[in-house]
Amino acid sequence: MIEEPYRWVEAIANRREYIETQLASGSPIAALSYRDGILFLTVGRARQKVFEIYDRIALGAIGHPGDIERLRMAAIELASTEGFTRSAADVSLRRLAFYSLSPLLKTAFEQIYGAPFLARMIFAEVGATAAEDLYLRVEYDGVITANGPTVKTQPPRFCAISGTARATERMEKFLTREHDPDCTLKRATKIALDAWSAGSLSAGEETSEEVPAQEALAQHRAQELQTATVEAAVLERSGPSALRYRPITGEELDELTAA
Amino acid sequence: MTCDSLGDGAADFPALLRQQGLLQPVAPTLSCRGGGAREEFTPTQATTILAFKFTGGVLVAGDRRATAGNTVVYDRADKVLEIDRHSLMAIAGVPATAWEMARVLEHSLQYFRRTQLQEMSVDGKVRALSKLLRDNFGFVVQGIGIVVPIFATYDFAGDGQARLYFYDAMGAQFEVTDYAATGSGSPAVRGVLFYENRWGKKPLHKLREEEAVTVALRALDTAAEADTATGGVDRNARIFPLLKIISRDGIKTLSEKKIAARFKSTVA
Repeated sequence: MIEEPYRWVEAIANRREYIETQLASGSPIAALSYRDGILFLTVGRARQKVFEIYDRIALGAIGHPGDIERLRMAAIELASTEGFTRSAADVSLRRLAFYSLSPLLKTAFEQIYGAPFLARMIFAEVGATAAEDLYLRVEYDGVITANGPTVKTQPPRFCAISGTARATERMEKFLTREHDPDCTLKRATKIALDAWSAGSLSAGEETSEEVPAQEALAQHRAQELQTATVEAAVLERSGPSALRYRPITGEELDELTAA
Repeated sequence: MTCDSLGDGAADFPALLRQQGLLQPVAPTLSCRGGGAREEFTPTQATTILAFKFTGGVLVAGDRRATAGNTVVYDRADKVLEIDRHSLMAIAGVPATAWEMARVLEHSLQYFRRTQLQEMSVDGKVRALSKLLRDNFGFVVQGIGIVVPIFATYDFAGDGQARLYFYDAMGAQFEVTDYAATGSGSPAVRGVLFYENRWGKKPLHKLREEEAVTVALRALDTAAEADTATGGVDRNARIFPLLKIISRDGIKTLSEKKIAARFKSTVA
């Protein structure tokens, strides 16, 4: 039965709908360039959602923890073996995502008797300048959207993911309006929190694509933060060590998120 | 692409490399001495490293000479290698093996942290190096791959103190309280450090940074005096030993300028 082409198309469409439903409740993640690097920020309740992949590469993911774990492991394995056999300079996010992860995701998605990956991810690679920062949004079906040096005119220096396309659109709209890649970490944290709020607020109620007013964002955030906590990490542009990933926790996080 | 990392030993990077054929298998512990080899092969060796604790953490120093038999192969070798933000491995022995070992160790610790989302414990790091040495023992027996490292790190989880270890070629680790030295010039270095620690103006662990640098430079100079395989300080070419310090804040490499000035005022 499944050999008939239209059945296959139908099966894929059903599968897409199923995955979208599963992902819909995911807490948004924002990644954006600031003067000294890239900031990843999200708000969550229990599990970690931002991860170190390699010296200059980090991952933010929503979806099923088991699937995220498999993809995260695959990415770390690939980057580590490449970095070991050649050099850290040969590890490239572009190659990792386009040549290894994307085919893997596509295959899993289209083999309709197997399980697809329930995951939506942001990968970011910090460059020497904000203009060289690379952002890739990688979808469960292997589709990759790039923000970075590939885009010729005024490429956005940020990337957002959330449960629904509409919420993501709102976040992007907000970031396009507010974000400046030369800002301080403090300012970037504020923008990222607002972007998260914009995505999170619209996830529940599918109203419009307009970004809610600043007060509405703040109010929503205050409410959410009663039961959840901010998770943040940075990829630093420069430093004494080759390792650029640093989770932001404790006092530093309190200080950055304080109004 | 392969992704079966969730099997046994999920965080074991050397095992992952072996599985993908990217790391040589464990060397067989068969001796070929007196048997197969027609001509004696003399591997390049790097010599004389030392480390001791002082008020600012641990100072790790190494001379720069690499030799093969009585030939000087290289006089700018780096024998003090950074493994992670708070760990240093200093190497005496065959550089080809030692550098590879340091590379595997470095990637193993990163791989563990990235996959397991926690820092490997100090004991875990110390054991990881021990295992690499143990795996290499076949080459040691064949006389071509001996490595005798020093490992220094900072223990954040435990007592918040610097920790210092030296190893033998089979992989036994020995934690030291004051100082460690290995390599061909180490008998002289140990003499100097023992003397300084026991009868010097103050014990090593009470030295300030400049004083510690002086002791390290004097010790290496002493070793170079009688041991041709130790480079010491090359006054003509202005080649100085490599000195690094581990403290709570991370690793600091002392600039050549600073070492040169210190050398001129207190050693030369």
